[in-house]
Amino acid sequence: MLSVNNVCLIPNEDNVFSHSFARGEICVVLGANQSGKTNLCRLIAGLNTRARGAVHLDDKSLEKLSPRARPVSMVYQAFVNYPNLTVFENIASPLIARKASNEAVSKSVTDLAEKLRIDPLLHRLPSELSGGQQQRVAIARALAQDAQVLLLDEPLVNLDFKLREALEVELRELLRASNTVVIYTSSDPRDAFTHGDQLLLLDKGKKIQAGPPLQVYERPSSPTAMALLADPDINRFYRDGKLCALRPEHIELVGAGPTSGNAVDFHMQVTAYETNGDESFVHGLVEGAEWVLRQRGMLPVNVGQTLQINAALRDVVQF
Amino acid sequence: MMNRPGLSRGVLIVYGLYLLLPLYWLLSMSLRSNADIQGSFSLLPPTLTLANFAEIFSNPVWYEGFANSLSYVAINTLISLAVAIPAAYAFSRYRFLGDKQLFFWLLTNRMAPPAVFLLPFFQLYSAVGLFDTPLAVALAHCLFTVPLAVWILEGFFSGVPTELDEMAQIDGHSFLYFFMRVFLPINRGAIGVTLFFCFMFSWVELLLARTLSGASSKPIVVVMTRTVSASGVDWGLLAAAGVLTVLPGVLVVWFVRKDLVKGFALGRVS
Repeated sequence: MLSVNNVCLIPNEDNVFSHSFARGEICVVLGANQSGKTNLCRLIAGLNTRARGAVHLDDKSLEKLSPRARPVSMVYQAFVNYPNLTVFENIASPLIARKASNEAVSKSVTDLAEKLRIDPLLHRLPSELSGGQQQRVAIARALAQDAQVLLLDEPLVNLDFKLREALEVELRELLRASNTVVIYTSSDPRDAFTHGDQLLLLDKGKKIQAGPPLQVYERPSSPTAMALLADPDINRFYRDGKLCALRPEHIELVGAGPTSGNAVDFHMQVTAYETNGDESFVHGLVEGAEWVLRQRGMLPVNVGQTLQINAALRDVVQF
Repeated sequence: MMNRPGLSRGVLIVYGLYLLLPLYWLLSMSLRSNADIQGSFSLLPPTLTLANFAEIFSNPVWYEGFANSLSYVAINTLISLAVAIPAAYAFSRYRFLGDKQLFFWLLTNRMAPPAVFLLPFFQLYSAVGLFDTPLAVALAHCLFTVPLAVWILEGFFSGVPTELDEMAQIDGHSFLYFFMRVFLPINRGAIGVTLFFCFMFSWVELLLARTLSGASSKPIVVVMTRTVSASGVDWGLLAAAGVLTVLPGVLVVWFVRKDLVKGFALGRVS
């Protein structure tokens, strides 16, 4: 178990928190830009960072250990590989540092390359690879280290859409099989559900909620936590002086007339409508606040019209 | 605009010839006898002779001049690189108190003309017994080549992402392994370009080299300026020495030609 105690991710902000990451689980750390995700990774890896706090692995402090000595491997958001070394040498790098025998090195490298489907590229230089392949090499090198903690700092952000989806599926299978602590940072709520056994929500260096992703989704502790897991933003309204919120996917269009008692009704003044054929987003004003709703398929909506919408009572989250 | 490839090519050819003419004339003079040179004008040497080159390679004054020059240039280049590579790495990787000021101060050394330093160097080297050794000239030239080398290398080194240094640490490599196995090979071109600049400065510099060398370490540029004898100027011999003086520069340029463009942009091209 990896635990961070009294961590302050962003200096000058008194948002000190503690958290534990279990072995054999993937914990997705979700937060917007500048929420301290990268600082958290750098703190755990022992790299130069402004974050402060204690890091323990199985009750042993890592504080005094240099990045070399820590049982931690890392994949950066940018594709970082040694440009003068071949793919084989890149993946072999952590093994060579540990003075593994030649047979052991070539066996692990070939195994990993096969798993990540870069085995035909072993003798190329990183500059001769596409972005997706470069990141596969970086992931293979991190896995080759067979460290007890694996940090993935937004590993797929710089990839284009299709490559990203392909690698997402493979990565999930690769990571599941290990007994390591895997920390996967992201700003995309979908990653929480595709990769995460556990979810840790960060906002401006503050831990706002943690737990299994679906549990956090169903019972968000604050509007910020709810908004972090919503795409696009959540819709806020007040009932009896209390702040309530609805996710954009939980709002329905109503044909005519009031609906049953299990639903709440609203009127929306449509300000914008966008669609890609598969999904549609309607933006508008409801009770003075800006709302957005998401629906499958295309909708018969015009800008300027007033829509009657409703949502099931059980989907309303009250704070 | 009219497309006239013939015209632009013509302009380029004329310009090229204009640049090459002095070099050609030097080469052609070196292959003639003095009588030929001072005789009637002719574009091609009427008779070719290697006597001038033979004289240089057999007369110790000449070949020792070359040896002296090459030795202090080599020492200078080695010292400059050995000092500038760690310095440039530090400037590109670490923030420390006064780093920017120190960096700028290094550069200001290049703003003073070499003549300013003649007197202190001469006095100092005489006092410690360095005068008239290749090391004296090499050290004096370092005052100019080290800042230049640090300046060029820092630009290149800063272009290498620091994530690479961290990656090597996370992989478990020692700093030395990373530096020798990854960092220096990546910056091979930069080091080549820096080597070229140090070499050229030291090779063509006349003032310090002349002042700080006596009879036993006279560099070739000094030998060349002292060949006016009682019998007049030995044109052919001088030209031959000139050709041989140009050669090392040409060789160095040949080896680093691919990286020179980047070097002139001081590494800011990726």
